[in-house]
Amino acid sequence: MIKEFLTRARFLLERSKPAEMDDELQFHVEQSTAANITAGMTEIEARRRALVEFGGFERTREQCHEQRPGWWMGTVAQDVRYALRGFRRNPVFAVTVIATLALGIGGTTAVFSVVDRILFRSLPYAHDDRLVSVGLVAPIIPQEFMLGGSYYDWRDNQKPFEAFTSETGVNECDLTEHNPARLRCASVEANFLPTFGISPILGRNFLPEEDRPKGPKVALISYGLWTTEYARDPGIVNKLVEIDGNQVRVIGVLPQNFEMPTLQAADVLVPQALDEAAQRKVDPGRVMYAFARLKSGVSIQEAERQLQPVFNYSLSLAPQQFRNEVHLRVRSVRDREVQDVLLVAWVLLGAVFAVLLIACANVASLLMARSAPRQRELAVRSVLGASRGRLVRQSLTETFLLSIAGAIGGSVLAEILLRVFIAIAPTGIPFLAQAQLDLRIILFTVLLSLICGAAFGVLPAIQKPRPAALAARAKSYPAHAWLRRSLVVGQIAISMSLLIGAASLLRSFSNIENQPTGMQTQGVLAAHISLPGYRFTTAQQQMEFFLRAEASLRQLPGVQVVGMTDSLPPGEMHGQQIYSNIAIAGKPRSMAGTGGMVTWRRVTPDYFKSLEISIVRGQGFTEQERTSGERFLVLSNLLATRMFGLENPIGQHVQPVPNGPWYTVLGVAANVKNAGLAGEDEPEFYQLRRSHAEDWTSSCVMVIKTSGSPEAVAPWVRSQIAQIDPTIPIDIDTLKQDLSKLADRPRFETALLGFFAFCGLVMAVIGLYGVISFVAVQRTQEIGVRMALGASRLDILRLIAGEGVRLIIVGGVAGMGAALASGQLLKSLLYNVGPRDPAIYVGVALLLALVSLAATLIPARAAMKVEPVEALRYE
Amino acid sequence: MPPSTDLLQGTLDLLILQTLVLGPMHGWGVAQRIQQVSKDVLQIGQGSLYPALHRLEYKGWIQSDWGNSDNNRRAKFYSLTPTGRKQLESERETWELLSSAIGLVLGRVPEASA
Repeated sequence: MIKEFLTRARFLLERSKPAEMDDELQFHVEQSTAANITAGMTEIEARRRALVEFGGFERTREQCHEQRPGWWMGTVAQDVRYALRGFRRNPVFAVTVIATLALGIGGTTAVFSVVDRILFRSLPYAHDDRLVSVGLVAPIIPQEFMLGGSYYDWRDNQKPFEAFTSETGVNECDLTEHNPARLRCASVEANFLPTFGISPILGRNFLPEEDRPKGPKVALISYGLWTTEYARDPGIVNKLVEIDGNQVRVIGVLPQNFEMPTLQAADVLVPQALDEAAQRKVDPGRVMYAFARLKSGVSIQEAERQLQPVFNYSLSLAPQQFRNEVHLRVRSVRDREVQDVLLVAWVLLGAVFAVLLIACANVASLLMARSAPRQRELAVRSVLGASRGRLVRQSLTETFLLSIAGAIGGSVLAEILLRVFIAIAPTGIPFLAQAQLDLRIILFTVLLSLICGAAFGVLPAIQKPRPAALAARAKSYPAHAWLRRSLVVGQIAISMSLLIGAASLLRSFSNIENQPTGMQTQGVLAAHISLPGYRFTTAQQQMEFFLRAEASLRQLPGVQVVGMTDSLPPGEMHGQQIYSNIAIAGKPRSMAGTGGMVTWRRVTPDYFKSLEISIVRGQGFTEQERTSGERFLVLSNLLATRMFGLENPIGQHVQPVPNGPWYTVLGVAANVKNAGLAGEDEPEFYQLRRSHAEDWTSSCVMVIKTSGSPEAVAPWVRSQIAQIDPTIPIDIDTLKQDLSKLADRPRFETALLGFFAFCGLVMAVIGLYGVISFVAVQRTQEIGVRMALGASRLDILRLIAGEGVRLIIVGGVAGMGAALASGQLLKSLLYNVGPRDPAIYVGVALLLALVSLAATLIPARAAMKVEPVEALRYE
Repeated sequence: MPPSTDLLQGTLDLLILQTLVLGPMHGWGVAQRIQQVSKDVLQIGQGSLYPALHRLEYKGWIQSDWGNSDNNRRAKFYSLTPTGRKQLESERETWELLSSAIGLVLGRVPEASA
């Protein structure tokens, strides 16, 4: 083997010596002649016979040459050189193909790299296909949840699961050691990790006795925390650390890829330590989130069926009027994790595949356009002795070179796009930060483009060149014309539906951006302050801090109003409660269901002034009431109308929480957008946050209206707070920024889909232009004849442009049909605009018609300017 | 690269290798020899002879040297290399296996016809 290889390598390096070969063949003829003479022929006859017997001299030499190792490499080099020369002659063609490929490959790869983790990645749990999230859905909590009152009953009596566990959420906590840090602590049941098949990389899991009230305080720490705080010291296990001022024993370290099934970040896992016996008795009990592992072979539907008895038990605990608003939900952990980005991911993936399709069609169409005029070249080369295989190889080489260039461009583009995605993406798209280029996808898309390039690029070479193609006057016959036309129609159709989708999103986005929010955000700063609970242990201390902060901020130059609230509209987490739980003095309680949710906030009187929320009735809160022993409410217009209709709400008494204190209504405020930017407004009430300790908690938002630029005031605010206590973390933003962050998601979606629609449109137009100019060139002679026979230039324009118009109409109508059929998919992404908005359809149709008509008219005009004499003399 | 499993081509290689066992020979000599030995049944055209000789040389089974022929004309002589000798052995075996197999199928073996 090795020897043979070496021999070959030697010949590969050695130059062939044509003279020697000639000599050898010459010798053969001489010998043959000599033999013939010996046989009795004359010398001339002998030589003639010898030469006849010998046959083609050149052919033998060629064949001997082809035996050389590396001969085919030489031909490849030849093909490459030839192809490159061709590209240089026609750079527009090469650049267009490469750009098209790069765009298709780059876009697909980048988007797929992002959505792959959302849609297809495997979860870092054992049996991830059998893990489900289980619970009740009710209007009060967006995700399925359980209540302590029935969780334990479910756990003991459920049939479909082999493991059943719960967690009670992630809360902020403080590491109060030598260098304090704000952490996130997740409280879980003792069997939480085993249910997910996770084992600590160091130490052990929780023991059942640690998951009891007043049990030993233990914690598992995340790999990240282990690295940053403890320098991966294996000795951390069994050490005591201080969390929120308590001595807690570290019993283990979580694996690096650990994540909560809710995707909440968590640095520390602690036992939830619920009192089971007490929870069983109380109603409704603690809100919990339950997860379970299905028994092998049990489907989610089956599990739902088997859970009916325990679900009915939970229903029986719920108040009668709520029952038909409570449902059972079992869904895979994956679905829970990606629920709200699922649709976006699929839409993006669809869009980018559409672009890839257009790109492939474009490449195919361009290659075919290039091949038609080359029929003659192929025929000539074939006649000069090029074999069919050689011609095919030549075409393949060209396609391959283009694909390689496209793939390189595409990979670069994919990397750039991916970085752009990550940079502009809003927070909350899971896994985006970890997204990286997927080599498999690059390979897949490159392969796809190679195949489509090869299929269409080689097509003309495979056919036996017709002798007719050699004739000087030969008209290149319109081979594959229908194929190219249908490709263009398909491209226009796809880009039409892409454009409609993008335009709908754009419209929806502008609706979101430009809607009135009911408050004035100009010049307003929002400072979020959350006091560490271990230092401000009593509500009195917390209140004192915030009141001091309020007073000192009010003295700052440039500060006009300082209001305080516990949350800000429209998007922040805020208090919510069920409408039918609110009692109104002198009115019967509503029994018709829950009545939906009501938003509430606790605010100081200046809150309304700082956001310029107008009080439409009554007077709102004043400074005097802050020290009052009574409690006061301001209702939103929506809630006031709902509660009192046309009656005067001022002075009415309202009890927001059953068995809680009564409040007096002081005024009615204008409605504010309070359920996210795209959500339907909820009724809302404001409780006065008085200067009594009971009204305060550890966190507060200070709303600061400035007279000048809020950015200039922000550092002063920071230093004022630091003067009171330099260790308090404070998060300052202008309200404008906060609002703009809320619009990040729709902005991201719109930008991405818009980008792809634009690419699709550009490529479709290039395709159309290519086809029309090809047709125009092909028919040059015909145009000449027509003009000679008296056709006007306008007739010619109509002739050529008509072809394009037909394609545009067919493609456009098909695209609209596709968009109509698939419009429903986008519906939940859209705000205040229907998926089949006629204005959008008309607008997009106009845009497409305009652009594609331009692409048609340019070559058609060129055709119109053909000089009949020249056209007839042509060739 | 042409595949060497091709029956006819492989056969020609075998014939050339076998002929060269006798000693170095030039191309014309190889052709003549095969023709003579096969009693004019196998006539090797130069169109396949020379490509075959070159191919074998590139494979390292035979080697070539320039020498003088009987009539004192400079000619290219081919001779078997040790690798070629081994290759001949194995090709012979293959051939015998093949021909006896074909023989079996055609029913020419005495036991089979009995």
